[in-house]
Amino acid sequence: MIARPEERITTPQAAVIVINYILGVTFLTLPRVTVEAVKTPDVWITVILGGLITMIAGVIMVKLSQRYPEKTFYQYSQEIAGKWVGGLLSLFTIIYFFSSSAYDARMLVEVTSYFLLEGTPSWALLMPFMWVGLYLIMGGINPIARLYEIIFPITLVIFTLVFFISFQIFEVDNLRPVLGLGVAPVLQGTKSTVLAYTGVEIMLIILAFMKQPNKAVQAVLIGTAVPMLFYVMTVVIVIGALSIDGVITRTWPTIDLIRSLEITGLLFERFESFFLVIWIMQIFSTFTITYYAAALGLAQLFQKDIHRCMFYLLPVIYIIAMTPKNINDLFTFADLVGDTALYLFGLLPLILLIVSRLKEGKHEAKL
Amino acid sequence: MWQAMVSYLADWQVFVQAIVVFCVPYVIAFTFRWIRSAGERETTNIKAVDHEDQQEIKPSEVSADHFSGDFTVDMQLVRNEIGHNSDVRFREFYIGGTDIRAAIIFVDGLSDKDLIDKHIMKSLMADFSPKYGRGQLEVKPAIPNEFLKNHVLPISGIKEACDLKDLVPQVLRGSTALLIDGSSEVLILSTTKAKTRNVDEPTSEALVRGPRIGFTEALSDNTALLRRHGENEDLTFIKFQVGKRAKKELVIAYIKEIANPELVEEVKNRIKKIDMDDVPESGYVEQLIEDNYLSPFPQVQSTERSDRVMSALMEGRVAILLDGTPFALIVPVTFSMLMQSPEDYYERWIPGTLVRLLRFFTALISLFVPALYISFISFHPGLIPTKLAISVAGTREGVPFPALIEALIMEVAIEILREAGLRLPKPIGPAMGIVGGLIIGEAAVQAGIVSPIMVIVVAITAISSFTIPSYNLGIPLRILRFASMFCAAVFGLYGVILFFLLLGSHLVKMKSFGVPYASPAVPYRLSDWKDFLVRMPLLMMKRRPKMMHTKDSIRKG
Repeated sequence: MIARPEERITTPQAAVIVINYILGVTFLTLPRVTVEAVKTPDVWITVILGGLITMIAGVIMVKLSQRYPEKTFYQYSQEIAGKWVGGLLSLFTIIYFFSSSAYDARMLVEVTSYFLLEGTPSWALLMPFMWVGLYLIMGGINPIARLYEIIFPITLVIFTLVFFISFQIFEVDNLRPVLGLGVAPVLQGTKSTVLAYTGVEIMLIILAFMKQPNKAVQAVLIGTAVPMLFYVMTVVIVIGALSIDGVITRTWPTIDLIRSLEITGLLFERFESFFLVIWIMQIFSTFTITYYAAALGLAQLFQKDIHRCMFYLLPVIYIIAMTPKNINDLFTFADLVGDTALYLFGLLPLILLIVSRLKEGKHEAKL
Repeated sequence: MWQAMVSYLADWQVFVQAIVVFCVPYVIAFTFRWIRSAGERETTNIKAVDHEDQQEIKPSEVSADHFSGDFTVDMQLVRNEIGHNSDVRFREFYIGGTDIRAAIIFVDGLSDKDLIDKHIMKSLMADFSPKYGRGQLEVKPAIPNEFLKNHVLPISGIKEACDLKDLVPQVLRGSTALLIDGSSEVLILSTTKAKTRNVDEPTSEALVRGPRIGFTEALSDNTALLRRHGENEDLTFIKFQVGKRAKKELVIAYIKEIANPELVEEVKNRIKKIDMDDVPESGYVEQLIEDNYLSPFPQVQSTERSDRVMSALMEGRVAILLDGTPFALIVPVTFSMLMQSPEDYYERWIPGTLVRLLRFFTALISLFVPALYISFISFHPGLIPTKLAISVAGTREGVPFPALIEALIMEVAIEILREAGLRLPKPIGPAMGIVGGLIIGEAAVQAGIVSPIMVIVVAITAISSFTIPSYNLGIPLRILRFASMFCAAVFGLYGVILFFLLLGSHLVKMKSFGVPYASPAVPYRLSDWKDFLVRMPLLMMKRRPKMMHTKDSIRKG
């Protein structure tokens, strides 16, 4: 086989991985979750704010990873924090990744069985999904990136189409007044919106595979900006159409909005099928990248064959995905995973960056 | 607290399912690995056996097959080797004006008898005049081969053979051997005259506009066609021999200043590894050198058109031509390349672009439309417009089968029709297609076995699959259509999406000779997109495809 530099991923590919990872489950619940926290129509400002904070966190992670070229977080965390602490941190990260992939898988089951296939048992929905994911990630990071590059334009086109159509029931009044209750509620909701952007942490791992790691900052900025645009549009249109009172009472406000649309005279009168198609694809990409990140972590931490780790993770993810008893349990589980992400990827990279700087300083001083 | 924790512990069923989740892909992966390694094991076994055989043979090989120069002995040697064949002709005579015995040996039908009679025999018997001096002749009753070559034989290809091993294969290929008394070197005169057909318009790839010339079964004709395409001293042909028992010539063609040397090396290596006793068609070569033989997709393009090969060479690809077949192979190949037709470039760019978009659209139709029909009818009738849903339900009222069976009946019927039409003699084929298609479709609806909408769906799919320019890409799409139908029957739209993701995963994982099969779609290379879904004006396509990593990337300007 001819080995080519293509075995590494390009900068656009890195950006697309980040985009596809971020866009996922939150798509459907974001309007409700944020409105619950903010309680004013200014949610869109919060969403932008959350995006900006995520960008900063992302840049910190990139800066940290750039100090250790060609190494993933699992490898350099031991260099920075010592063997045991670093190993423990890696283990936490691995647990985080496979828990969140289990959460995605379960979410897929919930939404699919609610909207598309009522009465189909969960295991029947979940198993083929996990197997397809396994088939993809067995090819390594390159096929993953390439498949995401196929999924992304489809998402973009259908999303834009659906939202242009939703403009017919959009009312600006639902978004007014802007900052009617001041800035305080906007800031209060920031935490819940930042959680919607979990996904930039993948930079800790994929930076090692990038062809041009020095452009990683660009990748992370674009990778966060595009979902930010999607989110702002979603929030604005959903709240504009359903008003905040309408949003808060619905579990899946985004799908409810699209279900309420009806255009006669076209081939399709209703568009939720389209929307669910891209949503399932997005869930698939979130699921596969987290699954891959966890498997890679296990392989690097315990020096095992990565394919074997992937197989071992399958039943683990399956059991975790099946554990929540109902959708409310699932949302609690999501909060737990989200909080972990905040500490693990909000604070930790900054600390590690400082520690590694200090260490380097010491090292130089000794010399 | 403890109670709450316990209540979250999963059921035993979940654990059983978890084991299933693990086992199924593990078994599948194991099977695939086993199949792959089985292929490799077999080849190594055969090689080991070969090795032993050779060792046994070697000692006996010492016996001298060299020609002695004594006419009778040499003739006997040749006769023993190939004399028993009914088509080998021996003709003994005396060289004109002397009493030196000579003989020609040739194969009836393979050699040009006209040439032998009029030029070789005539110049050796009638016109022969030993100008090099009679005196010498009396002393040494032999004619030096140099003299024959330079003064007597009006033939362009003359070689010398000094042993049987050298002589026999060449005679069997159509050359004429000339044995002369007193000379230990036999002259081999190239008198090959293979029966070839005329160059015709390629039947498998018809074009409205473009050269009407296609490859033939003769390798030399095919290489000549490429040579004639335009004066190009960089066009390189490298000859190989494939087949252990029936040896055949195979030529690798590439353009030295464009093609990536790594790629050329890789192609050569894979050709050298071919270990078969007979290679009857280029399809064999294709299957022996492709990257992934477990994939349904073709990873080598086969074509009868010389212009197609030439434009591929100009993009930095490598062509493989085999003697005895009009189908040349092009590597590496990408999915989008199989969706293109040379006509896209010969027509102006606007029609070229539109036709190309249409083709991608029809490929999607032929893959997914029956599956979507099944999933919308049997799972989500709420997602299609109400009126349509009502009318579909109305027409399906008398149909006793679920949508999957209905679709399968019609799809299988149309596949049978297609296959039958292909095998029948040319004049009957189309007639049968019309009769079968129209009558079966009509009657099936009348009989209430299928709904009229199903007939429309099947007809559209069938027509769509005919628009794909490469025959060998059409076949996997037809197969995968059935797979997608089954997915839809089990999981509805969800199944179709999963199937799409599986297919996408497979396509992005594949590589053909180091080039990702899904390129130029992914990874994103904006410059290569000028020649992908759209075909930009020729003025704008100044560079060769980047994915090929060519030596010289600039096409013009």
